[in-house]
Amino acid sequence: MVRPISMPKLGQSEEVATIVRWLKKEGEAVAKGDILFEIETDKALLEVESFFEGTLLKIVAAEGQTIPIQSTVGYIGDPGDPIPETPAPPQPPRAEAPKAPGEARYATPPSVPVAELPKARRERAVVPEGETRPGERTLPIAAAFGTSELFRISPRAAKLAREAVIDPRPIIGTGAGGRIVERDVKAYLAAKGYDRLRITPAAKKLAARQKLDILSLEGKGDSGRITVADVQRAIAERPRPMSRMRQAIADRLTQSFTSTPHFFVTVSVDMTDLEAFRSELRAQGAAYTITDFILKAVALTLPEFPAVNSTTDGKNIRWHSRVHLGLAVSLEQGLVVPVICDADDLTLAEIHDRATELTAKARAGKLTPAEMSGSTFTVSNMGMLDVENFTAIINPGESAILAVSSVQKQPVVKDDQIKIRSLMKITLSSDHRVVDGVIAARFVNAIKNKLEEITLWKRLA
Amino acid sequence: METFGVVVIGAGPGGYPAAIRAAQLGATVAVVEKEELGGTCLNWGCIPTKTLIASSDLYARLKSAGEMGLKVEGAAFDYAAMAARKDQVVGVLRNGIKQLLKAHGVKIFKGTAAFQTRNRVVVKSEASPGDTSSSYTAIGAEKTIIATGATSSMPGFLPRHKRVLESRSFLELKSLPSSALVLGGGIVGCEFACLLAQLGLRVTVVELLEDILWNLDADVRRELRRHMENTLGIRILTGRTLENITADDHSVDGTVGEEQVKADVLLAALGRKPVTEELKPENAGLATSPQGFIEVDEYGRTRVATIYAIGDVTGGPQLAHAATSQGLVAAENACSRSLRKNEKYIPNCVFTSPEIGTVGISEQEARAQGREIKTGKFMLGALGKALAMGGPMGFVKWIADAETDQLLGAQVVGPHATELIAEATMAIRAELTATELARTVHAHPTLAEAWMESAHVLEGSPIHSLPKKKK
Repeated sequence: MVRPISMPKLGQSEEVATIVRWLKKEGEAVAKGDILFEIETDKALLEVESFFEGTLLKIVAAEGQTIPIQSTVGYIGDPGDPIPETPAPPQPPRAEAPKAPGEARYATPPSVPVAELPKARRERAVVPEGETRPGERTLPIAAAFGTSELFRISPRAAKLAREAVIDPRPIIGTGAGGRIVERDVKAYLAAKGYDRLRITPAAKKLAARQKLDILSLEGKGDSGRITVADVQRAIAERPRPMSRMRQAIADRLTQSFTSTPHFFVTVSVDMTDLEAFRSELRAQGAAYTITDFILKAVALTLPEFPAVNSTTDGKNIRWHSRVHLGLAVSLEQGLVVPVICDADDLTLAEIHDRATELTAKARAGKLTPAEMSGSTFTVSNMGMLDVENFTAIINPGESAILAVSSVQKQPVVKDDQIKIRSLMKITLSSDHRVVDGVIAARFVNAIKNKLEEITLWKRLA
Repeated sequence: METFGVVVIGAGPGGYPAAIRAAQLGATVAVVEKEELGGTCLNWGCIPTKTLIASSDLYARLKSAGEMGLKVEGAAFDYAAMAARKDQVVGVLRNGIKQLLKAHGVKIFKGTAAFQTRNRVVVKSEASPGDTSSSYTAIGAEKTIIATGATSSMPGFLPRHKRVLESRSFLELKSLPSSALVLGGGIVGCEFACLLAQLGLRVTVVELLEDILWNLDADVRRELRRHMENTLGIRILTGRTLENITADDHSVDGTVGEEQVKADVLLAALGRKPVTEELKPENAGLATSPQGFIEVDEYGRTRVATIYAIGDVTGGPQLAHAATSQGLVAAENACSRSLRKNEKYIPNCVFTSPEIGTVGISEQEARAQGREIKTGKFMLGALGKALAMGGPMGFVKWIADAETDQLLGAQVVGPHATELIAEATMAIRAELTATELARTVHAHPTLAEAWMESAHVLEGSPIHSLPKKKK
């Protein structure tokens, strides 16, 4: 029996997801629980398992395609089963416009005529293949070229441009209705000094394959000859779309940083005693991380400062009664923030277990969207990265974030003596619309005092 | 104190061209040489061995002249005369270098150079050979090019005995032994093994690694090994060590696993170590690597701004032509404002029987890098010229980028392989594609046609090999 495979629903906010990679091919046997494909949402990369056993009969949604939740991506059944006629998966609202294979769409050509700017062809606004969306900002770097439907060029002229491995779009047409004809291409090549251009055969072939304009390349070989290395450099520099996750990060951080008046307050925490206590605990078999203590200290402090644990839209403020702590985890492909819910109800040991579990899931790419939403305050610890101090950007919907830096040995004046102590800087980024300097200062000092008060930890651990 | 724009330390195949190029660019140049002009290559390496190989090759061909319809009786060799010819060839070339340096106004200092500071070199020289009294001359150097080369390694486990030789001392023999044990199956070991086997010696090669010439393409190794074992009768023991080595007045003995091996002499070919002992680079602020090499960047620059280094002492490919190219680059970089990088494509030539030439990337290297490649192989036996010459063994092979057809590497094994590799080197450096090479007219009948034919193979449309069966 043929069963459709659908794009799973992953969380409340997800409407679309992108198929990153199919791990099974059409015609391949599938066991229940086998990973069928990988998907990417705004928040995560996830693997999707099969609920059925059988043969993957057909893949409907190709790799790279972004489709709505719960639409059909393929079919599983027995070999020879007829596959139901389905329309192609519906296009999500944000999906790109359909395009012919191998054809790219481009942003508007430059308003400045090419001849007026010596480097104009390098600075032409273009966007990577397949990523054009109306009104979108584009990058000023040479990119792949092709010809759109509206571009008027004669077949002979197009062939000449193709053989010359140049982008014909800047050429001014003198044919009927401004159409580019062969003589225009010839004149353009002559004006550009094409005959003097030196390029190795392999470099030219590679440029042609990659649809690069060889007039836009800079030759670093003998006497300015364009070599394969020069083409590879241009390929590497070509703008390409960021992952959906990276784009989501970009959106959220830009929104937060531009719409929230951030200010920053830093204090140094003396971690000498807590470090000693932590070693003691480790010797006894309880391996707490510094993050565990910080999370616990934050969970203890937040209820005393409702403004720091709040959400505002600039008109209204909502004080959260619960403490849901976001913990920023850096992955190769970007940043994720798993959430420890009701952290104020958890013991130090429970916080440790939950943080360990969520971090491991994050590293393995197994966090669900639900595990990454609902935080009321976030902690970002760069302690393991050997930094003296840094500031973090507030997570949208929250009013502060705590940036934790490395523990470093420093000379400290204590009882009029210079002592070597282990200090750690913590910096609170606050939304000045709801948090004033006094509150931020009290808040960071409350955290500091808790971390330095060793009797507290002896009671909690 | 006399001061020079450029002082070159060592007059080997790297040093003397560097000196000439620096002089051509207008610098006042001195070159310091502690032994003979021409260095290892000319005096104790490439040139003397190739002179001997020319004799042994002809001798081997005379012995099989019957195949060519010739009658040669009583073919024999006189090793003393062969060695004398070798010395004569070396003498001519050495004198040639002297003339060239003189003609370019390069001043030659005879002696051993040591840095005193980064801009001052002291040359220690002996008044006459055997005289223990030395004289010292200090010379100033605005720029220095270190080209001190390398020397054969003689590990401590080898007995110090007149029957235990390395390549240089072997070349000084005036008569040949009747058997040889060659320790090390690298380039030097294999070249000597073939030379000696052609002259009728019983030869055993012992190599620690899994195969001889381990760095080369597996196809190439297979072809050479088959010929060395089957035609030249060389015993090749690989993946094993030579142990319990002893030498006495009668023979050198050792064990390889359970087996006893014995020969008149042992030739150690275990690699070469850089010559920096007397140079005192630390006085110029230069440290050597743990292996004693002087490290340079791709422009031939050491960590000291005014000092360059080239050739074997830098730990790159230990090849005379690599040193020459690096010497020219270093001299140009030292004497002009624009910087040039060392060349990437260095052909590797092995003068075994059959010869081997390789350049660029090998199939195994490409696969290890995860590169998409395709290969085109053509057997020399399918060429008219190879058949006409007799002994049509060997093949050429191109390695090309799967997407663009760019020629990335080439191997050739067979007659004149070391000459044939020149075309491939040129093609790869010029970044030619298989199509360009395939369309280039190659004269007929020649061995070089094999490059064109194998480029046709890469394109999937060979003329002189059978088409692949369609599935």
